Amino acid sequence: MGFLDHIWLGIVAVFSADPVLTIAGIPISITITMVFSGFLGGIVVGATPGLGGPFAMAVSLPILVSIFGFDVDAMLPVLGFLIGIMKGATLGGAVPAILFNTPGTPDSLLTTFDGYPMTRNGQSGKALRVAHFSSVSGDSVSDIVLIVGAPFLAVFVERFLDFPEKAALIILSLAFIAAVVGANVWKGLLAALMGLFFAYVSTGQDNYPRLSLGIEELGNGFPVISAVLGVLIIGEVFKALEDMWREMREKAEIAEIEQSGDNKLHWADIRRILPFIGISASIGTMIGALPGIGSTLAATLGYATGRKFYKGDGNFGDGLPEGVASTEAANSAVSGANLIPVLSLGIPGNVAAVFIVLATETISGFNPGPDVFRLIPNQVNPEMVIAFGLFTMMIFANVLNWTLGGVFMRATGIMVKVPKQRLLPIVLLLTLTAIYVQETNMFAIYVTLGFGFLGYLMRKLDISVLPFVIAFILANRLEESMRQAFDATGSNPWFLFQSPIAVAFILLAIGVTVFFARNQKALG
Amino acid sequence: MSRDRWTIGLAVFFAAFAALTLGVWIPNDIETGVIEKFRRQISIGDAMAPTFVAAAMLVVGLIMGVLECVRPGAAEGRPRGLDGSAFKFVLRLGGLLVVSLLLMIYVGPLTVDVINGLGHDIGTYRQLRDTVPYKYLGYVTGGFVLVFGVTSLVENRFSRASGVVALAAVAVLVVLYDVPFDDLLLPPNSDQ
Repeated sequence: MGFLDHIWLGIVAVFSADPVLTIAGIPISITITMVFSGFLGGIVVGATPGLGGPFAMAVSLPILVSIFGFDVDAMLPVLGFLIGIMKGATLGGAVPAILFNTPGTPDSLLTTFDGYPMTRNGQSGKALRVAHFSSVSGDSVSDIVLIVGAPFLAVFVERFLDFPEKAALIILSLAFIAAVVGANVWKGLLAALMGLFFAYVSTGQDNYPRLSLGIEELGNGFPVISAVLGVLIIGEVFKALEDMWREMREKAEIAEIEQSGDNKLHWADIRRILPFIGISASIGTMIGALPGIGSTLAATLGYATGRKFYKGDGNFGDGLPEGVASTEAANSAVSGANLIPVLSLGIPGNVAAVFIVLATETISGFNPGPDVFRLIPNQVNPEMVIAFGLFTMMIFANVLNWTLGGVFMRATGIMVKVPKQRLLPIVLLLTLTAIYVQETNMFAIYVTLGFGFLGYLMRKLDISVLPFVIAFILANRLEESMRQAFDATGSNPWFLFQSPIAVAFILLAIGVTVFFARNQKALG
Repeated sequence: MSRDRWTIGLAVFFAAFAALTLGVWIPNDIETGVIEKFRRQISIGDAMAPTFVAAAMLVVGLIMGVLECVRPGAAEGRPRGLDGSAFKFVLRLGGLLVVSLLLMIYVGPLTVDVINGLGHDIGTYRQLRDTVPYKYLGYVTGGFVLVFGVTSLVENRFSRASGVVALAAVAVLVVLYDVPFDDLLLPPNSDQ
């Protein structure tokens, strides 16, 4: 069966499997319902300062697994909900940035530069409409690149890369993520090495669980969900709680500003912002395709490029729709492209992708990587059907974004009034409960809190947590690739230096590290 | 430009940890070597990956420390690190977490013991861990203390509103995780 057959099966799997309700005589599948629910939840969570897409993905995963189980049939509904959250949260993050000068997500910080001045000028409605249009445009461009690019890249990887090259590619990805994330390359590398080290505890091939110090509970290693959620979510909660504790509620009251300006988005406005959307969407897509570089850098580059390109009256920062468009198109264009390394190489490039990988590891039947797009003669490759189902859900979420996203987005402004100091302790209990119901033992909670404190310390010492998390997830694959490469090359200890491609990857890993180490001040 | 003591401290910590791991931990806590030979077949042993990682940690730690000594970065933008206030916060938060987890684990079993001690034979907590109201005792008490305690710590005061919010939050989580699912148990009931 060819690619087109798999695409069709993917579409059918999304739209027709397990209908749960009927609207105007049309049966609506469970997967579509889940994308829609995740999308709505994502907008609300994105619009709530202190929360964000990754948090919602983290706490919903165990609930979703409880509802749908571990069987392959659960894959599309669960991924659909996560994709919905990812898309919705990207959109929702702009709301508090524009209305209250409070970025809902880190990448919305630059949206405040022009979005909030527009609100002060009485044009919050227009600012939200520009943000919506730009965000959805950027996201759509990025998804198209993902859908077209990922299968080809995967086929290329499968055809030209053998075990030694795949091991070298993982090393290159980790070096790249460690080098580009955060202010200090060496701290990034140490974070990645820590992630690898923790992942190697109690794994391996021998009967004795290595490095377990004889602790019985560690017999199966640190639970992945505990380590990932601990460092990513609990660490962030601890840090935010400490910041608020220091501030002691010195928060100014939010003043209501009368919105009496032009709040419509006209064709003339769209024509004005389209070139900025085009530039920023391209920047965001390119950056998103590289593992580790997040939407914050994309938003920064998009905004800086837009400012350079702008020749009209006024300046960026004074409340220009072009400023909002440049930022929102760039940071939203990252989300789709970030799945390119996941689907083609099996390497998660950002936090949202980490949760997609966690879902696929929890539920059986879909292992993101180059094998997904392998054609099997006269047979259906079920993983390819799921991959095209994933693309279908992304397109459907984009349709929701275009049609309903703006309305829901404008309705979530109230979320900024939720007091963060009351929300974050609930997030803490919610995350611990979510982990417990999945792991079913208190040890997982202790491990989560331990990794939470580690994540808190890393943030206090300016060590990026992303290299840690991605290294933790990739550690066992790296070791497995090494073992297979060693065996495949007849126990050659220099297997990483046998083929020109593997050598090139290793040299590139060293080059990236040295380059960013030498230029970190200038880049910072 | 002055040296950043936190960066140097980190470098020393990682270098020392890596050296100890290479010299003591790995040789004593992994049963296969870096390379294993079995019936003339050579394969990678369980010690290889941790050894490479620890060695790389040692090298990176040393480079980071030496670079910070030789070429210190600008003072602005440096992490504040852990000051006295941070330690105070971590101790208070840690204390709250310990108390709430202890309550979560022991309130249920202790209540059952007390009822049994009063002469009512209701069985063991393990037998009752999926029965209302016993299954909620630990989670509700520990969860409430966790949410209310952390909120009060951050707000630096106890307020009725945060108590109500904490209670409502725990109730919502019970409804979310326990009521719809027969096969899910709230903490700490699965491992009782």
